Amino acid sequence: MSDAAPSPPSAVLGEHGTGGPLRARTAPSSRRPSGGHGRRGGGGRSLAGYGFVAPAVVFFVAFFVLPVLYAIYLSLRGARLTGGGALGIRRETWVGLANYRDALTDPQLLASLGRMLAIGVIAVPVTLGAALLFALLLDVPRVRAVRFSRTAIFLPYAVPGVVASLLWGFLYLPRTSPFGFTGIGFLDEPALFGSVANIAVWSGVGFNMIVLFTALQSVPREVYEAARIDGCGEWQIALRIKIPLVVPALALTGLFSLIGALQIYGEPQTLRPLTSSISSTWVPLMKVYRDAFTTDDIGGAAATSVVLALGSLLLSLLVLKAAQRRTRSSS
Amino acid sequence: MRPRTRRATVAATAALVLGAGFTACGSSGPSADDPVELSYWSWAPNVEQVVETWNAEHPEIQVTVTDAGGNTDTATKLVTQTRAGNAPDMAQVEYPTLPSLVVGEVAADITEHVDDATRDAFTDSTWALTTFNDAVYGIPQDVGPMMMLYRADRFEELGVEVPTTWEEYAAAAAQVRAADPTSYIGTFSVDQTGFFAGMAQQAGAQWWSVDGDAWSVGIDDEASLAVADYWQGLVDEDAVLQAPILTPEWNAQVADGEILTWPSAVWSPGVIEDVAPETAGEWAMAPLPQWTEGDSAVGLQGGSSSIVTTSSDHPEEAAQFLAWLNGSDEGATALLTTVNNYPAATAGQEAATSNEPPALVAGQEDFYDLAAEVAADTIPVTWGPNYNVTNAAFADALGAAVQGGGSYREALEQVQATTVADMEETGYTVTR
Repeated sequence: MSDAAPSPPSAVLGEHGTGGPLRARTAPSSRRPSGGHGRRGGGGRSLAGYGFVAPAVVFFVAFFVLPVLYAIYLSLRGARLTGGGALGIRRETWVGLANYRDALTDPQLLASLGRMLAIGVIAVPVTLGAALLFALLLDVPRVRAVRFSRTAIFLPYAVPGVVASLLWGFLYLPRTSPFGFTGIGFLDEPALFGSVANIAVWSGVGFNMIVLFTALQSVPREVYEAARIDGCGEWQIALRIKIPLVVPALALTGLFSLIGALQIYGEPQTLRPLTSSISSTWVPLMKVYRDAFTTDDIGGAAATSVVLALGSLLLSLLVLKAAQRRTRSSS
Repeated sequence: MRPRTRRATVAATAALVLGAGFTACGSSGPSADDPVELSYWSWAPNVEQVVETWNAEHPEIQVTVTDAGGNTDTATKLVTQTRAGNAPDMAQVEYPTLPSLVVGEVAADITEHVDDATRDAFTDSTWALTTFNDAVYGIPQDVGPMMMLYRADRFEELGVEVPTTWEEYAAAAAQVRAADPTSYIGTFSVDQTGFFAGMAQQAGAQWWSVDGDAWSVGIDDEASLAVADYWQGLVDEDAVLQAPILTPEWNAQVADGEILTWPSAVWSPGVIEDVAPETAGEWAMAPLPQWTEGDSAVGLQGGSSSIVTTSSDHPEEAAQFLAWLNGSDEGATALLTTVNNYPAATAGQEAATSNEPPALVAGQEDFYDLAAEVAADTIPVTWGPNYNVTNAAFADALGAAVQGGGSYREALEQVQATTVADMEETGYTVTR
């Protein structure tokens, strides 16, 4: 147990917090001291400061801002017919908000959001619950084979998503499964939602468990000692001390899982050839892929992407806000 | 996973940039010292051996083959790379996809580069597959006249007659289920748009037709709806298996002899040989069942042509190579013997009759005679400019119908609506 580097939960946040909203969370505390330095250093110092952030800004603009702007530009364009003859030629042209109108009125997009929600409702709580359970079990004193168990639970995370989906896909099919369950249509609705969520859970538990376990390891041992002296059992320590103390890490893993659920694509796309139940627009990102490549409608794909990105951003901010309020009120 | 995908993209881009560099050189007239370099995308197995023959005979025009994946993958990549201006000089394309590539400015008009000898190497109905408004956009490579592959041994074992009409096929389906509950006569797969379209054509459907500049779309015409009802009846009675084909599950069932027929096209023995090689010799090919006893015309399923792309700097040389590969006696015969294609050129089809049958139907000595007979009477077909949209909509709508218990009829009406809406939004005049 002693090999895990002890670090406060906030450091964990900083380490894994590559997303925008997370940065916003740590920003106020890091800005304040730099303001203090600025007073002493004068103009040269602040120029140096810009120099230090330049690489990050350049990469952010080149690989995030510009592609987003390009996607917004594409979302306002569409392939329309020019030239005569029965076939004619399709050329890209300005179509205004037509792609947004198509995306927002497409019943398939709504249905795919529903399916995504169904998978998320299964996958997110199960992933977090299992990760927390494993982390707490590994944190119990005198537990054996911690390193082995930790690695074993983490290992599925290292399996590429496509491989995991194929592996489970073969297990779901009665002929190719070594267990040969017939009778259960793993790849037919409604079991299909559980089957897809299961792959996400299997792949996701390990990573989340490590985050939570690291947070647990950083809790000072004296706290538990004091609790034991006060007559707490391991159950009570887990429920009343450990869980409240890892709430920030739980919020973080919750956000990751949520974003993971919003981005679900690889699992159903890989399972698609194995079943008639997964349509080409089964989840939102599959629709984006289909529009962009299969049906050659880049504009429509861009519009749907913009809508989805805005939705994801809004949802992430809401969750983060809620989690922050929780954290503040509990501390 | 994401970084890896990005790395692959970078590698692919680098490869393309290099490829474009190669094709750019040698624009000052081809010669053996300064040959024209052409790139060609084809998924046909062993086609590189045929190309080697060409390269040896034509030092001034050197062709490099790349397998960019099957029809859908290749078409997708062609569209994307044409936008970037670096598509290969030539590519293999399935017939239904060709109009969408003409419209997308991927396929170049090669009318002026095709001579009469090449034109005469094909029957009129085959040549019509790559000609639109009198402009030639590709050279036919192989054709897929529809036929029915069946397990001769299992038909005999169960005492079932090989059906010649769809009515007999339905009756035989019930017979098979009664005689052996683990087996099915065949499969209804919702992603087989090409098969369904072919069967609808056989019933008299015309999914697309053009009159002047105006299109008619008939995906939900009476003939097509009848085909939908036919399969819905069989699926509802559990007389055929409702499952996607060519999945590990289906392949295992085929290998175990539990799927007795695969109505598709002349190329089917090669596919089954790949997925269930242990069943070689147990199969035979029969003409596709008919709607009316005594009819003989069938549709085409699959089959491909090769196009010259608009990105090519050497359309003339590219057309010359494709004419040799697909239209010459030498090329067409090589397609038959080396690639195991059923050639589109009549010379190749005639050469086939003296060829040994594919290993899967080893016992059937008259295989290629039968194929030639079927190929001589195929139904002319017009594919629309957005077959890709129809194809995706078909699998989705039929998939939803088999899941939710909705009717196949309504699903087909939905495919029609999606196809027409897409054409109208693009700007076509659609009269129905």
